[in-house]
Amino acid sequence: MEHGVSTLAQGLVTAWSLVAVAFFALGILAYLAIRRTRRVSSEEAAQAFRSLDIEAFRNLVDSAEEAFLRDNLPPKKFRQIQRQRARVALMYAWEAGKAATDLARVGHAAQRSSDPEIAASGVQVAESAFRLRLQSMGACLHLLTEVVFPNLQSRSVPHLVDQYKQTAETLFRLARFSAGERSLVRSKSG
Amino acid sequence: MLSMNWHKLLALFLWISPHALLGVLAVVLCKRRLYREFPAFSAYVFYEIAEFILLFTLYFVQGTGGKQYRYAFCATLLLSIALRFGVIDEVAKGLFRKSQFLKVAARRWLLCIQGLLLMMAVLLAVSAPGGNSLGLAAGIFVVNRGAALVQCGLLIALLLSSRFLGLSWHPPAFGIALGVAVLTTFDLAMFSLRAEFTSATGKEILNLLTTGTYLICVLLWIGYLRVPEAEPDSSSLAVLPHDEVETWNTEFQHLLRD
Repeated sequence: MEHGVSTLAQGLVTAWSLVAVAFFALGILAYLAIRRTRRVSSEEAAQAFRSLDIEAFRNLVDSAEEAFLRDNLPPKKFRQIQRQRARVALMYAWEAGKAATDLARVGHAAQRSSDPEIAASGVQVAESAFRLRLQSMGACLHLLTEVVFPNLQSRSVPHLVDQYKQTAETLFRLARFSAGERSLVRSKSG
Repeated sequence: MLSMNWHKLLALFLWISPHALLGVLAVVLCKRRLYREFPAFSAYVFYEIAEFILLFTLYFVQGTGGKQYRYAFCATLLLSIALRFGVIDEVAKGLFRKSQFLKVAARRWLLCIQGLLLMMAVLLAVSAPGGNSLGLAAGIFVVNRGAALVQCGLLIALLLSSRFLGLSWHPPAFGIALGVAVLTTFDLAMFSLRAEFTSATGKEILNLLTTGTYLICVLLWIGYLRVPEAEPDSSSLAVLPHDEVETWNTEFQHLLRD
């Protein structure tokens, strides 16, 4: 009898928990349906990338710099400084990820262009941006670990820098192509 | 008496109207030739119409208590669940189609999510097998609850990852994904409750909610499938000013030298 009552209670708890999960999921769906994705121009995407100081980021995740600080600072001070460096680097990685998303949108929109060259460039831009987005997420997790455990020495973040550079190169090529196309249009109309 | 008739009428309206609208949806699919882009979804729509005709006929012949009606209900529900998996696979493939990188990475990620959700559904079925219902119905409710958990989890993961990665949806594909997600989310809630509550009033209320949600989802599908395809904005790539590009160039040259 007692076992039956506890089974019934467990069943009810499960049922209502799933109802709560379903309502939470519906909230997410409503948010996704109502909140439209912001349309990003290539100018905005370029601006987002330009606002990121890659040198500063490289400096923040430089292992030689870290080794220097470790050797010359008392452990407590080192942890404090290292935590701050990781926090700032995390913000950079986060912003780079956001910029990559904007760039992916630009690239994805360009893929639908009737001009095969623009479409092909769009594919290239989007591919680089997707990679950078995923890399930035990995870097964020890595840097978050460093914020919590500043004594950890392993570093794979420079890979993100390479990825960032590769994406920026693609953007640059695309920009040059677009500018060329624009001047071509001008010369045709002029 | 009057309230009973009113309730029965509402139940019939909510049962018939979404399927009548599915007919409209089928016309939209054919007229806009969307069946070529979404064959699984088209098959699902036609199947749902056929399923309704079968169940409606059986209902008028023997009512919901008939053995044949119950078997047909369970069998068609299982096939419907399977077809929804096909629809989810179709929208996922369509979303990642243009990116070679995402085809591999995102599908791997979705497989992981699917495995995780499947494990949760099995654990849920084992730990809470819906002790209040008996026989075939109880089993079907638990299976549908588990499937709804996996399907709505997959669709939410798909919708969130597309937002995260900056992937843009075509309106019909987004509408299909959204509609199926709403449908499976409600199924999750309704079948969780149905597995536990067996009172006649409770069942009737849940039935009304389920059919009402289905009506909303069909309207969502029709709405999104009728949205015309937006013209691609080809000017978006041609607005980067040359001097800014040169600044980028200088910046990267410095970087490459370091």
